[in-house]
Parts: sequence; structure tokens; C-alpha cells
Amino acid sequence: MVVNRSQRLIAGVATYATLAVFCVLCLFPFLWMLDTALKPPAEVMSSRPTFLIAAPTLKNFAAVLLDSDFLVYFRNSLIVAGASTLFTLVVSVFASYALSRWGYQTVSRLVGGAMVVSQMIPGVLLLVPLYVLMRHLGLLSTYWALIIVYCTFMIPLVTFMLKGFFDGIPIELEEAAEIDGCSRLGFIRRILLPLSAPGILATGVFAFVAAWNEFMFGYVLINDDARRTLTPGIMIFKGSHQTDWGLLMAASVLAVVPVALGFVYLQRFLVESLSAGAVKG
Amino acid sequence: MAALDFAASDGAAAVARPAAGRQARLRRAAALFLAPAAALMLVLVAFPLADVLWQSLHYANLVDPATSGFAGADNYRTVLEDEDFLPALWNTLTWTGLSVAGEYALGLAAALALAQPIRARAVFRGIVVVPWVIPIAIAGLNWMWLLNPDYGVLNAWLVDLGLIDHPRDWLGQVDTALLTVTLVNIWRSFPFYTISLLAALQAVPRELHEAAAIDGAGTLRRFLVITLPHLKAVSLTLVFMHIVWTAINFDFIWVMTQGGPLNASQTLPVMIYRYAMQDFDVGAACALASMSMGFMAAMFFVYFYGVRRRGGR
Repeated sequence: MVVNRSQRLIAGVATYATLAVFCVLCLFPFLWMLDTALKPPAEVMSSRPTFLIAAPTLKNFAAVLLDSDFLVYFRNSLIVAGASTLFTLVVSVFASYALSRWGYQTVSRLVGGAMVVSQMIPGVLLLVPLYVLMRHLGLLSTYWALIIVYCTFMIPLVTFMLKGFFDGIPIELEEAAEIDGCSRLGFIRRILLPLSAPGILATGVFAFVAAWNEFMFGYVLINDDARRTLTPGIMIFKGSHQTDWGLLMAASVLAVVPVALGFVYLQRFLVESLSAGAVKG
Repeated sequence: MAALDFAASDGAAAVARPAAGRQARLRRAAALFLAPAAALMLVLVAFPLADVLWQSLHYANLVDPATSGFAGADNYRTVLEDEDFLPALWNTLTWTGLSVAGEYALGLAAALALAQPIRARAVFRGIVVVPWVIPIAIAGLNWMWLLNPDYGVLNAWLVDLGLIDHPRDWLGQVDTALLTVTLVNIWRSFPFYTISLLAALQAVPRELHEAAAIDGAGTLRRFLVITLPHLKAVSLTLVFMHIVWTAINFDFIWVMTQGGPLNASQTLPVMIYRYAMQDFDVGAACALASMSMGFMAAMFFVYFYGVRRRGGR
């Protein structure tokens, strides 16, 4: 690059300054959440809030874990998000294999096109008919209601993400396997899945996070405390008149941290697959 | 975005067509493999979609099954004559327009900074993604705490800096509620733009910049002539997708204000929810949903035929 030293210095300072501002902007709300969760009630309810905590305490966390339904909600979220991720992956592996290898078939174009269109249809528009449908099926306030709905919404996206990975696996491998007498299912199980394991892991995390974070359907389709998931469950901590913010923030931290840790660990794969899509789009 | 690409590329990844003898067998296999996905889409997307259109033309009430029968345009009239409708429509436009504009500006700024030759890019990228990982419901509650008029840290700081003379209830006042929720939405959604734009920025050939610099083009000029055109395709996709996603977002507004105070932040999705789950007027809810769907379809056609076909890529 033909830029002189002072220009480069200015550009460098501007870049790092911008990044610093963004880091504060992105991290501060989260850090303040953590900070509040560690404060005793007197400091939470101070009109002169500070980052420093005079008497840090784990009481809020203890109260959330021991005296509330938090663990029940947490377990419900694990069950619902885990099961819908699993079903989504199973259905999507076959669908994306078909779209990747036989994309020219009429049936592939039809289903692929329908999936693209379904991406444009927002959940809130389907809220009423899905509520009525689940009521008819007697599935309201059961895990199945959420698992089925989440699967449906995630299958198109996961299918297209997986298709990208499957496209990258050379057809010669498949032909060689076929000559050696390997069946199609055998090929998928022995060769395709192991080879695209990082991609499947990343899309699985993506689906899991999406299901874990979903709010609206969890809020509407579940009315039973024993089956409530975490994101609508957290709303319970926000009382209608008085909110115990320390407690609420502790619950939020406990709900966010496991997912955030997984995400940060696996973001490399996820960013790669998102980027691949973005560059093409 | 990969999804949108698929429809346009017509299965470009398809391999050389096998001999005609295997065709029928392959067709059966394809149908078999796609059947579970297709069945789910049919039962849980296509059927409910048709159901919304059907119900919008009928009287339907969740608590009173006796009111039924063909309603014609009655449900649509109910919605259009509702005095909350026009304000909600206006709120939806404000919320969507400001959100998408703000998200794009922040997303681009962060992507440009991250695309520079910097140390520890992965760390910075990981930090910028944080807002996007926090569930909307929790992000909303967290910001309610930051903005709390009595104990919120942001109000305390604004007073200390002398920007306001007393703490304000940003979410509880008619004139600031919608704007405040919009700002929080921008905070939460811009990382998606950043990651997508960053990927596109890294695909811009360095030689172009170097050649232009040798020819005497300054930073700003190179940005306008080289960088921006390279971002055009991604940007259009991002903006159109987010117009749809933002216009129908229910979670944020419901968690933070429930559409209040005095409906000041009520958007159309909140209104759909109110009709269905509070007034139990499924017909009106479906009529409003159908109108929203019409809008969505219109956006999709503008995007697909207007932008894409006219060489948007």
C-alpha cells in the first residue's frame, strides 16, 4: 500500500478506537447484568449505582437455584432445544443430501423452493393457526408442541447450511464407495457424516441456540409451569408490581452463560458457514 | 442468504445427469429423502398459512365457538376501522425503518474496523457477536434494568454528564417508548450485519485497492468506488431480509413495553397477538395477519424481480 507512516498511524488509531467503542457497547449490558447479580439488595436498589460492589454476594444465585422454578425451566429448555435440534438434524441431513446430489430433480426444486419461501413467512402470522392446531391435537403445554414447531422453522435454514457442506464433498468419493458395494445409506453414515462433522456440529449449535432463545411460541403454547421453558420462564421473575432485579439478573446470567460459552467455543465454524452463505448471497 | 441463492441458481451443484435407466430410481430416492421435510412444511407452514386466509374470511372466536360462518370482508373492516390500526401501522414503519437503517450503519462501521489489519481479530469478532447470542427476552429485560428510572445506571450517568436534569422513564413515556425499544433492537441485531459484511469485505481483492491507490485515489474515494460496489449484493439481501424480520418481530416490544404506554409502541404483530390472545377474535387476528402476509409477499417480489433480476448481483 502506498500510504505514508502518519496516515497509517491515524488509520490504526481510528480503527482501534472504533473497536474499543464497539466492545464497550456490546459487553457493557452483559457485564452490568453480571454485576447486578452479584450485588446485595441494598446495593442493587441504589440511586447511585457503581460497578464496584461493596459486599459481593452469591445470595441471588442461590435464591434462583434453590427457591425458584429456574432449574425446572432450565431442564425443559434443554429437553425442547435438544430434541428439536436432534430431529431437525436427522430430517435435514436427508433433505440436504437430496438437494445437494439431486438438485435438478423436479421434486427437489419443488421442496427447495417451498423451503425458500417458508423462510419469508414470519412466525407471528402462524401463531394463531398453530395455537388452534396444537389445541386440537391436545398438545398445548407439552414438550411436543414446541419441539414440532421449532423443527419446522429450523429445518429450511439447517438444510441449506448443510447443503453447502455436502456440496463440498466430491462426487468421486460416492462413486468409489458405490463400486465397492456401499449402499446409499451406508455412504451417508460411513463417509458423508464423518467428513462433514464440523459443519453438522456448527449447524447443530445454531439450531440449538435458536431453539434455546425462542420466546414467543414458548410463551403462547405453554401455560403449565412444569413445562415452561427458560425465556418465557424468566419473565415470571419480573413481578407485575415489584421486580427483584438482583434475582432477575442472576437468572439471566445463568440462562445466558451456558449458551454463550458454547457459542464462543464454536463460533469459528458458525461464522465460516454464515460467511460462506453471505459471500454467495 | 444461501437459501435465497438456491432458488436463483437452479441447483447449480447438480452433477452430470446419470443415464436414463437410473432416473426413476433416483427420483424415488429423492422423493423419499425429502418426504419428512416436505410433510412437516406442509402440515405446519402451508396448512396454517391457508388456514389464516380462510379464517380471515370467517367469524371465529376462541371462547365462543357459536359465532361462526362466512364473514366476507367484516374482519378486515374490523381491523381497518380499529382506531389503533393506523398508529400501529405507523409505529411498525418507524420501528422497521429506523431499526434497519441503524443496524446497517453500525454493522458496516464495525465490519470496516474488523476488516483492517488488526491484532486479535478473532477476539474482537467474538465480542461484537455477544448481543446476538443473548436471547431477545433476556436482552429486553436487561435493558429495562439499565434504563430503570429509579435505579438504572444509564439514567444516573446521563444526569451526571448533565445531558438530562432528572432521570427519565424512557420506556414509560409516550414520546420515547418506541424509539428506546428501537435503539435496543439495533444494539441486538447489528452483529449479524457485521459478520455478513465482514465476509464480503474480506472477499474484495486487495489488488484493486492497491492499483487505485497507485493511481492516486484517496481512502474515501476507494471506499466509494471499490468497497461499496462489492458490498451491494450482500447489503441488499441483508436489508430486505431484515425489513421482513423486523416488521414482524414480536418479542422485543412485547417484553419491554407490551405495546404501551397507551399503545405508543404497539406494532402490527403486537396487535395480532392482542386480537387473538386477549380479545379472542381469531377472525380479526387472521385478517391482520393476511394483510401483513400480503405486504411480505410484495416485498419478496420487489426483491426478487426488481432488484435481483435487474443485475443486483
